[in-house]
Amino acid sequence: MSSYNGQELRGRLFVVEGIDGSGKSTQLDLLHKWLMSQGYLVVFSEWNSSPIVKTTTKRGKKRHLLSPVSFSLIHAADFANRIHAEILPALQAGAIVLADRYVYTAFARDAVRGLSKDWLRRLYSFAVKPSLAFYFDVPLDEAVHRIMEGRPALKFYEAGLDLELADDPEESFRIYQGMIRAEYEQLVKEFDLVRMNATDTLVRQQKQMRELVMPHLKGVMRADGGSIRDTLKEQGLRGRYLLETLRKKQAQA
Amino acid sequence: MTELKFYGDRPPGIEGRALPGRLIVIEGTDGVGRSTHIALLKEWLEDRGIAVLDTGLTRSELAGPGIKRAKEGNTLDPFTLNLFYATDFWDRLERQIFPALRAGMVALADRYIFSLIARAVIRGVSPEWMEDLYGFALVPDCVIYLDIDVEHLLPRVISSTGFDYWESGQDFLPSTSVFDTFVEYQTWLLDEFRRLASRHEFHVIDARGSVPEIFRAISKQVEEVVAGMGQDAPIVELLEEPSAEAASATLPHLE
Repeated sequence: MSSYNGQELRGRLFVVEGIDGSGKSTQLDLLHKWLMSQGYLVVFSEWNSSPIVKTTTKRGKKRHLLSPVSFSLIHAADFANRIHAEILPALQAGAIVLADRYVYTAFARDAVRGLSKDWLRRLYSFAVKPSLAFYFDVPLDEAVHRIMEGRPALKFYEAGLDLELADDPEESFRIYQGMIRAEYEQLVKEFDLVRMNATDTLVRQQKQMRELVMPHLKGVMRADGGSIRDTLKEQGLRGRYLLETLRKKQAQA
Repeated sequence: MTELKFYGDRPPGIEGRALPGRLIVIEGTDGVGRSTHIALLKEWLEDRGIAVLDTGLTRSELAGPGIKRAKEGNTLDPFTLNLFYATDFWDRLERQIFPALRAGMVALADRYIFSLIARAVIRGVSPEWMEDLYGFALVPDCVIYLDIDVEHLLPRVISSTGFDYWESGQDFLPSTSVFDTFVEYQTWLLDEFRRLASRHEFHVIDARGSVPEIFRAISKQVEEVVAGMGQDAPIVELLEEPSAEAASATLPHLE
């Protein structure tokens, strides 16, 4: 059960972590679709996506304005906004929340940038404790290969160039990801993260995730029965204005 | 036909005693499913050969963009915000709804004055002031109210837009917990809606059920409202000036 301030929450929080190229987002996406197909109410929250904060983070990254401390603080601000506006209310209502990266990302990245580990844990003390946190463990070479294959130009902070580890972005990326990976190793022990073998087949990884998630789903809220599709069929309608309505809503959100 | 009846005084520039179209309002709190049912209803009406105008809050050419800008700042006092909304409302009534009704269309309004009144009243504006302000509003042929409770509302809000700043009363409720303010605000708002529902004789539909159930109830009611749209008197007769008694009934202040 997920908890907040020592108080049990009706919903469940599941988290994926891992270095870039570990395949965590793919697995979380598959889990998301499966949970929805089972009728569960699912809210997805991604690292660095607060509508209020993310433009500032982007600006800082684009203009190379972020020092280790401001890098840490702006990500904490983004996270705090998502906790209070998305994650916590959904959990209080009894929904499932899936988070792509969580506090462990900050613990790893900020520690690599030299911030105090104790300070980071106190800074993020407002976070909800997840029901399960998966760590996708992948060898460094494999992760670098996956990233370089699909994405030729590495971004400044993504490659850890602010740390001045190497002049060449690819070389810097490799060193930086290796340092983060070492931090994750500590975090797995400290926080009991569930280690996933990210070199295993996608099908097997997903199967394992579902098996681990399933026991946590008892008593979790399900979506309403009776869908829009049933209405269309019953009334002989095609739903030609529904898409427009949906689009407007998404724009609003 | 839509009789030209107003909650208060007849506003200037509006003539005639009736219009051949129908004004149907769908009211209900955020997340209850209004926009889904309106999208379905629009198609349902068109399939029956009835032309439809759909309109909703802040969609006026005049004041829509201004309200959106003002809300982003989160700084307006309730009176200014309400008058801004009233401007938007009248602009749509005058330039979208009346022309559509005059042309013999069904105007489908996603929310009407009632959402605006309910929201304002729970923020401390007097109900009398709000109802006086919207005296210029045309009385609709039918107000369909989608009634729900907070418990059934929660999953819908989560699966659609999430917890909106204004729809959870974060602009004036002191708690920092979005969930708590949402529950408190919506409980309050739904009470206010129910007060308005009995005062203004809404057609109340239980919106706790499934989408097909709710739509069946809505379309049944709309069917009654649009029945006979082909047999109304021609527009020239409807546009005749109201009789002396009718005029004095809608214009008491001129006596």
